[in-house]
Amino acid sequence: MIMYLLTIVVLLLLAPILPDFIKALKMLLLYKKPVSLFQGYRNFAKLIQKETVISSETSAITRVAPFLILSPLLLILFFLPPVVQGAFYVSFVDAFTITGLIALSTFFLMLLGLDSASAFGGMGSSREAFIAALVEPAMVLTVFSVSMMSGDLGVGQAGVNLAAHFPKEHMASFLFAAISFFILLLAENGRIPVDNPETHLELTMVHEAMILDLTGVYLAIIESAASVKFVIFASLFASLFMPFGLQYTAPVAFGIFIVKLFLIATAVALIEINTAKLRLFKVPNLLGIAIVFAFLSLITFYVLGA
Amino acid sequence: MMLTLLVLPALIMFIVSFFKNKKVKFLLPVSSFAILLPIIKLFVLPKPYAIVGSYLVADKLDTYILLVSSIVGIGVTLALLTLDKHVKVSANAYRRFYRFFAIFWIGLSISILSNHMGLYWIGLELATLSTVYMIKTNHTRAAHKEAWNYMIVGAIAISLVLFGIILMYASAKPILGEEAMQFDLLLSHAKEIPSPFLFEMGFAIATVGMFVKMGFFPMNLWLANIERASFYPVAALFSGILESAVLIGFFRFSQIAMEVNYAHLFGFVFVYTLLTIFIVSFLIFRSKDFMRLFSLSGIEHMALIVLFWVSGGTFAALLHFGAHAFLKPALFLSTGVLESNGKYRIAGALQGYRGKKGTLFWFLVSLFLLAIISLPPSPMFFSELYGFGAMIETAKHSDHMLAMIAAILLLLILLSVIFYRFVAIYQSMKYEGQEEEKKVYASELFALVIFALCLVALMLPASLDYLRSIA
Amino acid sequence: MVDFLIGLFLATLIVALFTTRLYRLIFWYSMNSLILGFLALSIGSALDDRSMLITGIATILIKAIGIPYLLKNLGSKFHFVRQIQPEIKVQYSIILIPAILVFTFYLAEPITHMIHGNANYIAISISSLFLSLLLMMEHHNVAPKIIGFLSMENALFLLGVTATDGMPMLVELGIFFDLLMAIVVINLLFHNEEANL
Repeated sequence: MIMYLLTIVVLLLLAPILPDFIKALKMLLLYKKPVSLFQGYRNFAKLIQKETVISSETSAITRVAPFLILSPLLLILFFLPPVVQGAFYVSFVDAFTITGLIALSTFFLMLLGLDSASAFGGMGSSREAFIAALVEPAMVLTVFSVSMMSGDLGVGQAGVNLAAHFPKEHMASFLFAAISFFILLLAENGRIPVDNPETHLELTMVHEAMILDLTGVYLAIIESAASVKFVIFASLFASLFMPFGLQYTAPVAFGIFIVKLFLIATAVALIEINTAKLRLFKVPNLLGIAIVFAFLSLITFYVLGA
Repeated sequence: MMLTLLVLPALIMFIVSFFKNKKVKFLLPVSSFAILLPIIKLFVLPKPYAIVGSYLVADKLDTYILLVSSIVGIGVTLALLTLDKHVKVSANAYRRFYRFFAIFWIGLSISILSNHMGLYWIGLELATLSTVYMIKTNHTRAAHKEAWNYMIVGAIAISLVLFGIILMYASAKPILGEEAMQFDLLLSHAKEIPSPFLFEMGFAIATVGMFVKMGFFPMNLWLANIERASFYPVAALFSGILESAVLIGFFRFSQIAMEVNYAHLFGFVFVYTLLTIFIVSFLIFRSKDFMRLFSLSGIEHMALIVLFWVSGGTFAALLHFGAHAFLKPALFLSTGVLESNGKYRIAGALQGYRGKKGTLFWFLVSLFLLAIISLPPSPMFFSELYGFGAMIETAKHSDHMLAMIAAILLLLILLSVIFYRFVAIYQSMKYEGQEEEKKVYASELFALVIFALCLVALMLPASLDYLRSIA
Repeated sequence: MVDFLIGLFLATLIVALFTTRLYRLIFWYSMNSLILGFLALSIGSALDDRSMLITGIATILIKAIGIPYLLKNLGSKFHFVRQIQPEIKVQYSIILIPAILVFTFYLAEPITHMIHGNANYIAISISSLFLSLLLMMEHHNVAPKIIGFLSMENALFLLGVTATDGMPMLVELGIFFDLLMAIVVINLLFHNEEANL
């Protein structure tokens, strides 16, 4: 139980570092002086103290939505697979619940974007809906496929099973599911092939567009929600697709897990540097690959047993 | 030794094509006649005669088809002497044409004789790739586009055939090992194949590939357009030699498939060919120029041959095949002359021939035109009678007599549509239009005479007995 | 190992169906052939079959390195269009490709009861064949059609290597010969500015 609670606290505390790590790595590789890794904490502290100004055209949603965006994501933190062998974990939550909670969070984000009655907000919300519609089926299929391979529908239990017995005989479907999930990780978190997290240009905004005119506490909450989302996806990827190192003692296992998270962040940073952002109407091509790979993984597992 | 003799004329043609002297090409018909010597020897030898181990084996079916396609080859060689008098072709292109014709002929002779599925496929693929260049010798935009079209669809078709061959090999490998590629072994062990479904799937895929190559549904107009865009000898080669090779492949595969599961085979091929004949007959009704007319009629006859063979009427199928392989190339070669005054002028095409050569020409062409629509005493008439008889025979053993009679009635209606159109075309060729002078050359006429003589020889009792004795 | 490589084979083919750039398509084709070569090498070393090892190496050299290099040269010489947009919109191909996969796996299902363990490989070869046909039909330009034809040859080779534990050397040589002749003919077909007409 202690390990379980400790995992959640560590993930929460680690959340602001990961996006900054990605940014710092990109700046380092581009020969710029990298941003400090603790900038996320400093931003949070600064924003909490700032005065919150809300547009007069908004309704009560804008006051409520930021909390509703953060809470489903915090809830998911409780359902992730364990990091150390022998820790407590929730075993009955399956792919639909996790996807549904993420979708709930996205839904309120979209409402927030629409509520400010500005053109940017509407544009961001519609683009987000467009991307979410393609991401959700792929996510359900992918996580289901991995759960099938491990033998249990619950994500937590699946993580434990995969760590105990790595499915070498299902390598092909495993690989397809991994590719698909990685593409979804990029899409849902607004990373480069799909959305540019660093600019506020109309051409490239999806996530930033919806939160363009928020300040103060609300902006702090939403930025932390974005970091928590990245941590959730990264830790799901690490537990489901890189299920090694759970059998060591607690500090070592924790350390291995954190290294895995940073590895994933490095991979994301390298992809961000080497790829250009896709045109919005080319995004379905990429997400189409994710959907087809998820489907392929499920079918290869069922029909071929491979 | 035998193999060398068989490919010798084609090799001579290949070598001769490198000489720049124009008179050299008159050597070719003489050398082409030389191919008849080994074939007659093959007829006399006891069958099955192994030419090269178990790869090239001549049995009765082989020898007959090889004879027919070689005669077509000789005829086309003769007609090629006067190609540049009818169409515009540069000397370089002419020589390249001979080169690729030689490769084509070698490839198909190997295919026809082969007992090994892989070797059969290699010959077929050699032929496909050399035909592409032969189509392109005609330097028009349409020919260029059609050459690409042929390349793409032809390549898909032979890849499908190879896929089917590999599946069939895979299905028989457990019992025969590496020798599962040989037709005769497969035929004798057909009932022991451990997974009939795999064999049938391979057969279905290979058959679709072969049907596409022959121009069945849905590729009817593909073949017609290709033959329109190329020179007339290419079309003659198509309908004479290439289709013989594809048909012999179909014959062999279907013999094995008949042992494995007759009902499936029959249903599949029956529906396919009926559909094809249905569409082709209406396309013929609307055709406006010779080449398309003849190529569509060729597709229809191929469909009939396939239908007769699958119903068990092997004699009818082979007789129909022989007659078609003599008539169709003859008609194609004569379009060189018939179209002397323009491609779409059907009216008056049979008028305006003077002198002995001209009279003989229009007499022969009229006979051929009327023979191909199965007017007696053409062999096609008899083969269709036997063929329908065989279909009814097959239906007697099953419960579908009424369906078979309905199908035969439908076939007769479609054939009569074609009959009507051909007769109308003949009448317009002979009696309408203006008289314009057309010139016939001796070599082409000689080719047509050869075809006519072979047609008559096909009807002799000796040859009919030989056909009856095949399978 | 074989399963993994076959999965990668199918993955590269599917990604090739979604690209819109010619050189990317050539790259995925060469990855496809590379994986096929590794597959032949691994099965060949497991069965200790020398001819399969030789064809595996030949596949890697010719199909993964030689032919893509040649195609790039031809492309720059004859100014191929480098932007190839599929005719089927992406939303339909997202549905069409899984439908094709399901259809071919369903077709090959009766075989799973009859053959010793390799029935999956036949199903994947057939689906690769159909997906290559789709690749050919999807684009109007001629260069993707050529690459579709080459992928079809890859699917045939996959069938030959996995389903039958190797085909007779004659047939494999024939396939390579076919490929080379096809490239020669393609080269000839592109010289449509003949000097002497």
